[in-house]
Amino acid sequence: MPCGLFFEKYAKDEAIFPTLWLKLWMVALGVALLIFPWFAQILSDLMGINLLNLFNLILIYIVGAHGLNLLTGYTGQISLGHGAFMGVGAYTVGILANLGWPFWLALPAAGLMAAAVGMIFGIPSLRLRGLYLAIATMAAQFILDYAMRNWTALTGGSSGLTVPQAELAGFSFDSDFRFYFLALAFAAGATMYLKNLSRTRTGRAFVAVRDRYLSAEVIGVNLFKYRIMSFGISSFMVGIAGGLWAYYITIISDEHFTMWLSVQYLAMIIVGGMGSVLGSIFGVVFMVTLPEILLIPAEAMTNVFPHIFGIFASLRELLFGLIVIAFLIFEPDGLAARWHTVRAYWKLWPFSY
Amino acid sequence: MSRKLLVTALAVALCLALAPLALAKEIKVGGIFDTTGPTSDVGKDYAAGAVAAEKYWNAKKVLGGDMIKLIPNDYAYKIPQAVTLYKKYKDVDRVFVIQGWGTGDTNALRPLVNKDKIVFLSASYDGNLTDPKKNPYNFFIGTSYSTGIRLALTFAKENKAKKVVFIYPDHPYGKNPIPAGKDYAKKLGLQIGPDEIVALNAIDATSQLLNMKKFDPDYAWIGGTTASTAVIIKDAAKLGLRTKFLVNCWGFDENLPRLAGKAADGRAFGMLVVAPFGANVPGMKDIMASAGGKSYSLHYVKAWVSMMVMVEGLKRAQKAGKLNGPGLKAALETIKDFNTGGLTAPITFTATDHRPNTACAIGGVKDGKVYIIKNVTFPRKKEYVGW
Repeated sequence: MPCGLFFEKYAKDEAIFPTLWLKLWMVALGVALLIFPWFAQILSDLMGINLLNLFNLILIYIVGAHGLNLLTGYTGQISLGHGAFMGVGAYTVGILANLGWPFWLALPAAGLMAAAVGMIFGIPSLRLRGLYLAIATMAAQFILDYAMRNWTALTGGSSGLTVPQAELAGFSFDSDFRFYFLALAFAAGATMYLKNLSRTRTGRAFVAVRDRYLSAEVIGVNLFKYRIMSFGISSFMVGIAGGLWAYYITIISDEHFTMWLSVQYLAMIIVGGMGSVLGSIFGVVFMVTLPEILLIPAEAMTNVFPHIFGIFASLRELLFGLIVIAFLIFEPDGLAARWHTVRAYWKLWPFSY
Repeated sequence: MSRKLLVTALAVALCLALAPLALAKEIKVGGIFDTTGPTSDVGKDYAAGAVAAEKYWNAKKVLGGDMIKLIPNDYAYKIPQAVTLYKKYKDVDRVFVIQGWGTGDTNALRPLVNKDKIVFLSASYDGNLTDPKKNPYNFFIGTSYSTGIRLALTFAKENKAKKVVFIYPDHPYGKNPIPAGKDYAKKLGLQIGPDEIVALNAIDATSQLLNMKKFDPDYAWIGGTTASTAVIIKDAAKLGLRTKFLVNCWGFDENLPRLAGKAADGRAFGMLVVAPFGANVPGMKDIMASAGGKSYSLHYVKAWVSMMVMVEGLKRAQKAGKLNGPGLKAALETIKDFNTGGLTAPITFTATDHRPNTACAIGGVKDGKVYIIKNVTFPRKKEYVGW
């Protein structure tokens, strides 16, 4: 019996879940995620956090973070406009749903709309790289932000837009409990899609463009096509995230889709790990959970120090900055890399070489 | 050694924090405040006032054995953040009353509040919230913005104004009362100039004021908060405009002369829906005691009164044996000519009219101090319910 992993075929080496144990663990995770909502209320009361709400937000953001990770992590194109692309998705859902479009039509439309906008703003990527592309996409952020705020006839301006609840075949996702399953399905779908995409010809082309675009072009990768495609797919995913978010919060306003959200998305994939599917998931969990966790000591201590919540509120932003810097210095490959180290350690424990 | 100290300190803090849990029943109150966002210039004092009022009423044992537990949280003036907090208060803390903040989020939460039957006391005095037919669970304690504008325009008319302009931030707080203001300005026969938009976090209003100068109004309404109001007034003084400014209740406080300096003297007039901090009225004694020597602005007083009215409602609801959302709503609607100790005009809520009152004071600035020019009252007409 082999005491390690010995693959005899490439296909086996490339398998998503190479070992039986991993498959079992994944099934366990799947079951845990599926039955979680029934225990959410008890756990929420225990922890003083609205867990179901937290999980829903995490699942929605995972879809979007996967999108940005595809663009930045896999294709190496930075974008500071993904916050606005998410807004495009959200507003598309908002407007179409108010026109009476059903959920199953409005949500893909949100993705397509965001993809179209993303591809237009992705065109400069042909000529621009790095810092210059960051500035070009930032322009997209500001233009779209301005449109969302001032195109009052379409977006409702600063008063925002009310979105009806998502409904599928007569089933209304009108509570956090019901919405969880919808969000879970989309998060799982996006995860599988990204994982599989990275193993296809297209995925390899993306990575080639990232690693050395000149060589990629020499071996026959059409740079323009793949860069724009990456922008398109990436914006599609973040647009879907925006659409889901609109259906979940049911009120959209421009102040959510600012530069800050774009930076947050970038921070998520940096903290989690760029170019790693697991990375975007870890990053989202970390970044969404952190502010909620910070609320607990603040709330517990208000009895003694009544004004402490104000301090904790500012602390959130401060901590956010510190964490991103710390990750860039100490763990540039993100939480995903740390996860692999920890797993490797336990796998061989206590008989590590 | 220091480690030991730290552990002890933490343990003590934890014990203190958990101690009240062992006591009587708690009535949890959700708190949605802005202490870091664009309106934090006035939001900080408001939050401080609410927190201090909670302590005060609990020390007084006003609800017998039951304690009020305010859960204050910051939402940075972001509507989605307010929705998230609301969901937490509803599902985890299971509150039936919330102390809220801004116009945008209060309006956004209206459908949820009505569905979940949670009483929502806002710091937004948007006239839109005063119609119980549409918003049965929304309450607030100050003269509504639109009533404020009507009173301000009446004041301008009395001072021989012919032309007015509206300056406000592009935010529901700024925009919502403007139609009511324009409607009333027309009724008074005032000429209305083009609107100017000055953001809440503006640091310069020169271009807007130069634009306004072409119309040369006698009076201009400012629907912002204190920081942006100070910017407008300073720039107006710099440009030598003759226009005087009528400021909404969140833009006129003790900090305005401090921020605007001499420019505010005789140029800024504000709607004072509560007595200024430290004013000589009976209700102020407890507030000064609660502040413990610190000096706050009048927004502290607003929060105090909001909590006071809530406590009065809770008291009545408790007596009726209905300590829940609908019970508190019904109890609040029995409040008639409620005396706040001179902090505000007497407050009345009915089942058909949620306007707390229609009277306030108009303040001015002299020698760096806010003073009351006169008390004004708008007739409480049915036709103005809801806007």
